[in-house]
Amino acid sequence: MNKKLGIYICHCGGNISDYVDVEKVKKAIENEEGVAMAKTTMFACADSNQKEMVEDIKSNGLDGVIVASCSPKLHQITFRAVTERAGLNKYNYVHANIREQASWAHSDDKAGATEKAIHIVKAAIAKVRYAESLEPIKIKSKKAVAVFGAGVAGMKAAIELANMGSEVFLVEREFFVGGRTAQWDSVCTSNQSGGEIVSELYEKIKNHKNIILYTGAEAESYSGSIGDFHLKIRIKPSFVKSEFKKENIEKAISVCPVEVDDEFEFNLKKRKAIYQNKESEFPKRPVIDNINCTRCGECEKVCENIDFSQKEETVDLHVGSILMATGFDPYLPETGEFGFNAIDNVITLSQFQRLVSASNKELIYNGKKIKNIAYIYCVGSRQSEGENKFCSRYCCTTTIHSSIEAKKKFPGIFNFHFTRGIRTYGKQEALYHESSKMGDIYLQSYENDPPVVDIQNGKTIVKINDILTGTKEMMVEADLVVLVTGMTPRAENSIGSLFKLPKGRDKFFNEIHMKLRPVETVIDGITIAGTCQGPKNIAESVNSALSAATKSFSYVSKGELELEPIVAEVDKDTCTWCGICSEACPFDAIKKVDYNGKAVAVINNSNCKGCGMCLPVCPSDSIELIAFSNKEIESMIKLLAKD
Amino acid sequence: MNKIDPQFGIKLKKYGAVDFTACYNCGNCTAVCSLSTQDSSFPREMVRYGVMGMQEEISASLKPWECYYCGECSEHCPQTANPGELMQALRRWLTAKYDWTGLSGLLYKSLPLSIFAFLLLAAGVIGYGAYENFNLAKIMHYGHLFEMISIGAVFAIILLPNIFRMWNFTVLKPGSKAGIGIYFKAMGELFIHMFTQKRALGCDDNQFRWFEHFILVLGYLSLLFTTVVLDWFGTSNQIIIAIGYLFSAIVFLVTIDFVSGRIKRKKEISKYSQPSDWFFVIWLFLMGVTAFVVRLFIDLELIVDNSWIYYFHLIILVQWALIIVPFGKWTHFMYRSFAMYFARVKELAKK
Repeated sequence: MNKKLGIYICHCGGNISDYVDVEKVKKAIENEEGVAMAKTTMFACADSNQKEMVEDIKSNGLDGVIVASCSPKLHQITFRAVTERAGLNKYNYVHANIREQASWAHSDDKAGATEKAIHIVKAAIAKVRYAESLEPIKIKSKKAVAVFGAGVAGMKAAIELANMGSEVFLVEREFFVGGRTAQWDSVCTSNQSGGEIVSELYEKIKNHKNIILYTGAEAESYSGSIGDFHLKIRIKPSFVKSEFKKENIEKAISVCPVEVDDEFEFNLKKRKAIYQNKESEFPKRPVIDNINCTRCGECEKVCENIDFSQKEETVDLHVGSILMATGFDPYLPETGEFGFNAIDNVITLSQFQRLVSASNKELIYNGKKIKNIAYIYCVGSRQSEGENKFCSRYCCTTTIHSSIEAKKKFPGIFNFHFTRGIRTYGKQEALYHESSKMGDIYLQSYENDPPVVDIQNGKTIVKINDILTGTKEMMVEADLVVLVTGMTPRAENSIGSLFKLPKGRDKFFNEIHMKLRPVETVIDGITIAGTCQGPKNIAESVNSALSAATKSFSYVSKGELELEPIVAEVDKDTCTWCGICSEACPFDAIKKVDYNGKAVAVINNSNCKGCGMCLPVCPSDSIELIAFSNKEIESMIKLLAKD
Repeated sequence: MNKIDPQFGIKLKKYGAVDFTACYNCGNCTAVCSLSTQDSSFPREMVRYGVMGMQEEISASLKPWECYYCGECSEHCPQTANPGELMQALRRWLTAKYDWTGLSGLLYKSLPLSIFAFLLLAAGVIGYGAYENFNLAKIMHYGHLFEMISIGAVFAIILLPNIFRMWNFTVLKPGSKAGIGIYFKAMGELFIHMFTQKRALGCDDNQFRWFEHFILVLGYLSLLFTTVVLDWFGTSNQIIIAIGYLFSAIVFLVTIDFVSGRIKRKKEISKYSQPSDWFFVIWLFLMGVTAFVVRLFIDLELIVDNSWIYYFHLIILVQWALIIVPFGKWTHFMYRSFAMYFARVKELAKK
């Protein structure tokens, strides 16, 4: 109670002192009880002042420090560190915000601002008197990470985590790894094939002792919190023995009577219910698609490697952190949207890419040789009405890249780009330059006047009021219309629901802070990477995967985690478990436990964020928030309400 | 509705257009052009029409002729799409479009054909010389006669119908309704631009180029008058002889600078010379220099022993009069001035 306090009033170079009379503030508080020293300073955060603070704390033997300056968001960490450097427990530091709350808010009333600043500092003095030294909460953290999704982001993150020394469980829902990248035959701007990228990553995963890969696997349930997640994983059987003969499988495929759309080919082709990995997918093995298989038994007759007795397995995983890299779905246009599903030579960008890679010598669609290709941009992206307000980032570049590839592969093709303005940002601009130099034609209109796909004299035409040609109506007879479809969040979001991952307005998984905490989610210990977070190209996905891997590793690297000690605390003697607090908690941190024969609430320190939502709802007033205890807050209120 | 025609862009490249499809429509070219105005803005619009293959719009436009190629647009183009050279290519394409015989287009697009035509005429002259047993006096007489007849014939058979076609494309078809009075009223423009190329003065930093071009035109026209009307090679009038020397000297001295400019390729205008550009400046130079030497040989009484110089001069003259004047770059002398005339007519008709 009888603390020796040191107080610093900051000018903030005029930001505060232009409106708040800092000298007057100093005079008003320097004689408060316990105040051993009070100073004004031009910039409290300046290096020189920080050094001076350390000296002051040591020489005056201070045990409580206040800096009255900007928002605690900006410099609380700075000054806590200063007190720590001077040998004091950092929770004996209290921040008083007299800039955002006084000088900036009341720049029209200098006397009032000064008076408010005095109150704020006095309230801080009241609080610091009760401040206790706190130690961070230490919890055990399992040095293992579960990565969901084995596309390019998930694979890269898994390898990085494994290289750093963490155990990694890579969980892929499909039977094969590679994700969307495996579907692209040529990726810009490196001109590699997606298969090359995937195979390079897969080789590393296969041979890494720290990585265990589960394919055909999904999370069924989870419990626990950061450092200590328990997951149950369900693994689908492939119904093919692990030892198999290639020719047997080929026979089985040829006799299988079930034909379904091949999703890998974006439904341009068919596959059987028993099928094998594509060249760019791994592992190399045949599988039976249980949803479409009719168990007719034809395959068993010709192939001894089929085994319908295989059962679903479950595996329990114990990990310290979870990394989500579950990817995106390409936008699927509605029927009639730019003629999709209504006019037979209208396809999506994804289909076009498969078509180009599957065609040799001549580009043929629906039995017709393709000469004029019209690309309609921003289909399902940048919509002022509807959910997809975002730009999908990758599509301008990908379309231009694919159109160049097509032109080089099939000479004599003409490309017509119906755009809403080209966004080949960064180094990708070179592709746009190359394309237009090659003679590709770019047209542009605004969203409210989109191009129109129509049939005229039996021919598909695309017309546009081209703003680059004085809004004249321009048209082309197109042999193929490619809808440049963007990215959308996964329609199937059971995993997001399982972990209660928050989604943004765009329905992609949401990070905490777009700029400063771009891979963390509000669920401690769960990070996000790649396109499950929002549209990204491969390079950007890999970037975010590496940063998510680093972040996830930071949770598990030491085998132990230090958490902020400002958490809620239940008085077990007065608590009578009504459960209201548990309902109010947004972080699932309150559980019912047995205590001396009665039910009471208990806080899971690793989940609690110290938000304080449980405090006001408690009917018996049994919950306190450490560092914001009733007596601290009440003493502050008393002071503020005094005059 | 306009049908996009990417084949036109490919065709324009044969007329010398370079990389213009790289244009991303920023409009820097139009912004820096000192001749472009709000009412008549170029070159971006013309580049766009070129990319889109809007031949009708281009053939109805006088804008390609309103550009005097200072090259600033190309210097400032962030995509190096060479709008200046595109305008130049459009002028060549228009020249071909106006020409009812279609020969202009063929000669522009094919260098071998041009060389063949030049060789054919050279052979014709030599053949005619042989036919006349290289009787110099007789050949010089018919040479002079050829000059007079060819001027009239080329004008009547080729140039006049082509001007008429130009008028049809640019004034009549686009629906400009001008009474006969307006044509008289605007007539001044035609002669001013024909003899002074006044508009070129509007180009930035172009005063010296304009001056060179101006005296070259005057020199050329005066030389033409002196040789054809005043019979420079046949006269004994000392004054006529003297001015003939002066005019021919102007022609070949100025063209030396033009040729060396195209060799050095320092300015935008001379970076992308097409065969038609080379033929034009070199033949103009040869015309001046051979005429000068022929007269000099006459005065020094060397001509009888060195009659080859006259045959050489005659070959150049015939090629000039039958290829370059009706189908080559010479026509810009007419089209530029008529373009300014028609533009004025259209402007007055609008009011």
